[in-house]
Amino acid sequence: MLGKRPWKMAAVAAAISLLVAGCGSGDSEDPTATANTVVIGINEPQHLLPTNATDSSSAQVLNSLFYPLVSFDAEKKPVEVAAEKISASKNNRLWTIKLKPGYTFHNGEPVTAQNYIDAWNYGAYKPNAQGGGYFFERIAGYADLNPLDPDGAGPEKAPEPATNKMSGLKKIDDLTFTVTLSAPFASFKSVIAYSVFYPLPKAAFSSDGVIAKGFEDKLIGNGPFKMKGSWEHDDKIVVEKYSDFKGVVPKIDGVTWKIYGDQMAAYADLVSNNLDVQTAIPTDALANAPADLGERFLKSENSVFEFIGFPTFLPQYKNANVRKAISMAINREEIASQIFLGSRTAAKAFVSPVVSGFRENSCGDACNYNPTKARDLYRENGGPDEIKITYNVDGGHKSWVDATCNQIRASLQVKCIGEQEPKFAVMQDKLQNKQDIGLIRLGWIMDYPLMENYLNPLYGTNGGSNYYGWSSTAFDTLVKQGSEASSPEASIKKWQAAEDILADEMPVIPLRYGQNVFGYSERVANVEMDLFSKVNLYEIETVV
Amino acid sequence: MSDPTTAMVDSRPRGLAGDAWNDLRRSKIFWTSSVLVFLILLMAFFPTLFTSADPTDCALSRQHDGPSGGALFGYDFQGCDVLARTVHGAGNSIQVGLVSTLLAGLIGLCFGMAAGYFGGAVDAVLSRGIDIVLGIPFLLGAVVFSGRLSGAGDDGVTAVTLTLGLLTWTSAARVMRSSVVAAKNQDYVAAARMLGASPARLMFRHILPNAIAPFIVVMALLLGANIAAEATLSYLRVGLKGEAISWGLQIADAQKHARAAAAPLVWPSVFLAATVLAFIMLGDAIRDAFDPKLR
Repeated sequence: MLGKRPWKMAAVAAAISLLVAGCGSGDSEDPTATANTVVIGINEPQHLLPTNATDSSSAQVLNSLFYPLVSFDAEKKPVEVAAEKISASKNNRLWTIKLKPGYTFHNGEPVTAQNYIDAWNYGAYKPNAQGGGYFFERIAGYADLNPLDPDGAGPEKAPEPATNKMSGLKKIDDLTFTVTLSAPFASFKSVIAYSVFYPLPKAAFSSDGVIAKGFEDKLIGNGPFKMKGSWEHDDKIVVEKYSDFKGVVPKIDGVTWKIYGDQMAAYADLVSNNLDVQTAIPTDALANAPADLGERFLKSENSVFEFIGFPTFLPQYKNANVRKAISMAINREEIASQIFLGSRTAAKAFVSPVVSGFRENSCGDACNYNPTKARDLYRENGGPDEIKITYNVDGGHKSWVDATCNQIRASLQVKCIGEQEPKFAVMQDKLQNKQDIGLIRLGWIMDYPLMENYLNPLYGTNGGSNYYGWSSTAFDTLVKQGSEASSPEASIKKWQAAEDILADEMPVIPLRYGQNVFGYSERVANVEMDLFSKVNLYEIETVV
Repeated sequence: MSDPTTAMVDSRPRGLAGDAWNDLRRSKIFWTSSVLVFLILLMAFFPTLFTSADPTDCALSRQHDGPSGGALFGYDFQGCDVLARTVHGAGNSIQVGLVSTLLAGLIGLCFGMAAGYFGGAVDAVLSRGIDIVLGIPFLLGAVVFSGRLSGAGDDGVTAVTLTLGLLTWTSAARVMRSSVVAAKNQDYVAAARMLGASPARLMFRHILPNAIAPFIVVMALLLGANIAAEATLSYLRVGLKGEAISWGLQIADAQKHARAAAAPLVWPSVFLAATVLAFIMLGDAIRDAFDPKLR
């Protein structure tokens, strides 16, 4: 008798353990179905090193891996996040940044002031050729790391910088550092919210000022999620919860950033619940999206500003009146409603409505559709017989460029063609070689919510995104005066005066303001997107 | 033997062409496809007979409007008249198809004749040349060639014509070579050679007229195939571009809005299918007439 029972119990135990094991293996076959993680669609990021990553897809991914010094509240005012306190001296030139204690990088290293100083110096150092390097230009000593080319675009190379440390960055103690600006700037606190200002751990550097090989594929950040595995190019980037994170803890356990080459394929995955969030529903799917997604199809304000630029080396567009005539030939409202189905709104100013200082119709008559006046003005000023608009074919711009050309053709009675280039980079090359590429389609997403961000980078003589080469000393002076003004109100006055110069000169034609037009699957809830077109990872949650 | 009545009714000796015409005359497929081809050619050369609307007159206010007045097929996403664009699209398709087929024919004829007539080392070299071109995957080659050949700002017609011409001549060359090989061993060729005819005279007076029939058949079929290939390349955005009007471009643009409006997708597709079908049917009819053995 005694001998029998243990056998029975053992059999029951074995059966239970088999059952449990069975359940376990069943779960691991399809982890996404039950796990508290979400799948968000992006394009292949160009770079992931924060100081080099300036495209929207890398910004999304970095937002999960890093925790910014400041972020913005509902009134677009900067508030401290990873920083304990950011304070400025009276003249707004010396800024003191104190970090919150206890934060660590994903490899366990504590986050210190030195991590910020190292990362920023790396980003600003010219030989590193970082895409976001120009963000550091306000910091004293930036010029020493970026010596000017003695003969401009000529054959002579710029001299090697004498130092790779900006003199304006100074460590006070482990959690405090100061930033001295080369000129006073009252709104510097807003600037450092951008992703290029993230810190880098010691492990990122193989030696002083040299990024370790392969670091970009296996980033180590200070944010709520850490990388699981490495960046699988053109496929996915998986991040999971970092358990020692001291900041605001997200409700989800991880994100799979799924990389798509074709946004229509992403949309199909969204509709079939294989993708949880698509951050930009492609234009071609907009007509069906309300029916396909119902309540899960949303729009929110963002900072996108779309426009057409006139390369200044093209003689046929030298005359500002010709540029105004082309602008008046375009019916912005019709394109916004018929082509974009209301996902964009007509732009009649040079800055987005999301920043303070925006004025409804600062562009004046030149942005109002008036075909007869446009034709008269165009004829009087001898506009060219053929207009060409060059666009990158990978961005889904064909529909609106075709429609714009049809409107220009009808209004001005000239030939108008849309010229395709495979990538934006090809357009940049052609611009640099001063080839006749006609008008160019451009867009801008702000880096920090200030009017200045729509002015200096795009039209300043040394602006990082001034692809058309427009330049005006009066404009540069006003923008600079605005940046150095003592109060935000005084700044805005100067910047508005600078915007008026743009309205007179029309170096570009404002077309549309963007909106986040996004959708989500039945698996998630509380999906929000911010002004910077980033998914709010702290609010999103999964539903069963 | 199979059709003794014909021989009895008409006792005059007839050549290959005469025989073929006699067959074609009684073929329903030949007449149907001829009428279609005639209509398509008319559309290509005189589009204004079919529509008075300007295909570039587009207005967003008419987006996806239904049929009205002259616009029998309605309007597309950009508010262009679908009928006008479809009719005007025939011109580019036919032009690219005809010119590229002629180009391919010319290359194929030269290669095939030379390889077949001279034989030996010349044949070996030329035949390997044909094999090499045949080995280029068509779409890959077309994407690369038309990309390289088309300049910025042009409409791509020349580039696509050259691309198709340069990639599709191989079957014509092979057919030509084999029929030249067969013809040159005939007694009458030997006789002409013994009478002192020059190689050029032998090739063009004696061999070519007797070896050309299969080549003509290949040409007719190639025409249909090249029209379809142009539409394919344009659809993939590596063919016609810019302001050019093409069925392939129309289909590519309308496909995205097919759920909102089907007509702008359906009509160019129908015209494209009808055109390709007409040329292929015509090619089939001609082949049957010239080469009854294949029937």
